Amino acid sequence: MNDLLKDLYQEIILDHGQDPRNFGECENHNKSAKGHNPLCGDKVYVTLLVDQDDVIKDIKFSGEGCAISIASASLMTEKLKNKSLDEANKIFNDFTNLVKGSTDELRLLTEEDSLYALKGVEAFPMRVKCATMAWHTYKSATNE
Amino acid sequence: MSKALLNSNIKDDFAIFEKKILNKDLIYFDTAASAQKPKIVINEINDFYNNHYSNVSRGVHTLSVESTFKYEDSRKKVKDFINAKSDNEIIFTKSATESINLVAQTFCERYMKQGDEVILSIMEHHSNLVPWYFLREKYGVVLKFAMIDEEGKIDLDHFSSLINDKTKIASITHLSNVFGTTTNKEIVKICREKEIFIMLDGCQAAAHNKIDVQDLDCDFYVFSGHKTYGPSGIGVLYGKENILNDLPPYQGGGGMISEVTLDSVSFADLPAKYEAGTPPLVEAYGLGIAIDYMNSIGIENIMLHEQELSNYALKKMKELEFVEIYGNGNEKSSIISFNLNHIHAHEVASFLDVEGIALRAGHHCCQPLMRHLKVNATSRISFGVYNDIKEIEVFIEALNKCKDFFKK
Repeated sequence: MNDLLKDLYQEIILDHGQDPRNFGECENHNKSAKGHNPLCGDKVYVTLLVDQDDVIKDIKFSGEGCAISIASASLMTEKLKNKSLDEANKIFNDFTNLVKGSTDELRLLTEEDSLYALKGVEAFPMRVKCATMAWHTYKSATNE
Repeated sequence: MSKALLNSNIKDDFAIFEKKILNKDLIYFDTAASAQKPKIVINEINDFYNNHYSNVSRGVHTLSVESTFKYEDSRKKVKDFINAKSDNEIIFTKSATESINLVAQTFCERYMKQGDEVILSIMEHHSNLVPWYFLREKYGVVLKFAMIDEEGKIDLDHFSSLINDKTKIASITHLSNVFGTTTNKEIVKICREKEIFIMLDGCQAAAHNKIDVQDLDCDFYVFSGHKTYGPSGIGVLYGKENILNDLPPYQGGGGMISEVTLDSVSFADLPAKYEAGTPPLVEAYGLGIAIDYMNSIGIENIMLHEQELSNYALKKMKELEFVEIYGNGNEKSSIISFNLNHIHAHEVASFLDVEGIALRAGHHCCQPLMRHLKVNATSRISFGVYNDIKEIEVFIEALNKCKDFFKK
């Protein structure tokens, strides 16, 4: 198997793609947004419960999409749960930089991080939107 | 000769000059109709088709990625070329004509009702008249026409006097394709003060002047690729982002949607919103290469070169008592329209063709202006990077021969 593909479809991606965590809707959510990728028609719905101190107490997603978009959404919910919105937004920036292959220094993500598994996307520019769809949807849910 | 002139070996960049016209060297004085294409543009277009081609913005595979990158990279080049703020302000169309039609129709749909007014000028190209005539016929929009002065420039006082509460937009040439005169950018200020929109038709200006849409502050700017050394089949529409966001879509189709169901549609963000269907992607790429080519020479240097040629030609032509020049000013930015006494422009064009000289004869798609000048047609010479002083000498000589040939 080609190395680029191996990087793209690491085991953790295939695992989360087939068996997404935090799939569904948060009970009592107070923030939500729908997102979609017009290029392929994939859809995602992100719900959050954010407390008074701006901490994400719960985050879930539902939708349909390719392995990359589902795995990315799944990993996102794991990563952002119990983070403050401020931290979450930094992670958002790190993650989008990571998959776009930006040379900007990452602030909160490290190579040990499960999200780092999505770095392989940078070699497939047309898939960046798959990887970032849920993230942009999170962002629009919290920006409302 | 003057330092302002470009090196004459610039002709080597263009394969067309290897061609002989009836055994004569080609003297191409018709750049205002369409510029010749540098080899690099033609070669790069070939390379695109041979090595990188697929559809853009849709596929996931390598060729689609390469095509998309080349296409979007050109958009950035165009953005920088006219100093727009954002890529989202650059819409690729098939021609400047399509760009004007796009603005006329979507603007009218969004902002105009019966009785509202549009200001044009009597010297507009048909492409900046007829799209508005459609609105007059279909929606009862009223068109008013600014007059020009003796030099062939927009009469700004008259222009200003036409604006009233019903005026919504003005659409005016940035550089006249008949007189070679540039419209004073004051015109935009007038529109700002009176709170109307303004579109500038930059078809002639873009190949000869440095365009800065932020400095001009116009709402829309259009130009075509083929007059700026790029391929045919590609036009550009610049629009301020907030305005383009506010206007409705133009054509429907693939690529311009966000989501489609059987009973609804939502639209893509800029610039895709205005690029329905597979765009002229290779042509857009070719335009990007043409812009690189112009930048490699330097827009400033191109301007100086053409100004020098225009000044020289104007001086020489004025010495010929049988030549009438249209527009009595000395500002002829690469374009000079003229007639020989008692000789129809078509005779002049055919006679000069035999001498290897390509020039335009006719109404220049400006019939209302021809009527104003009380002529049926004029001859027009126009210059590009590849022209030189020697060619103007040959041209002047040919005008003399032409006069003698048709002497009664």
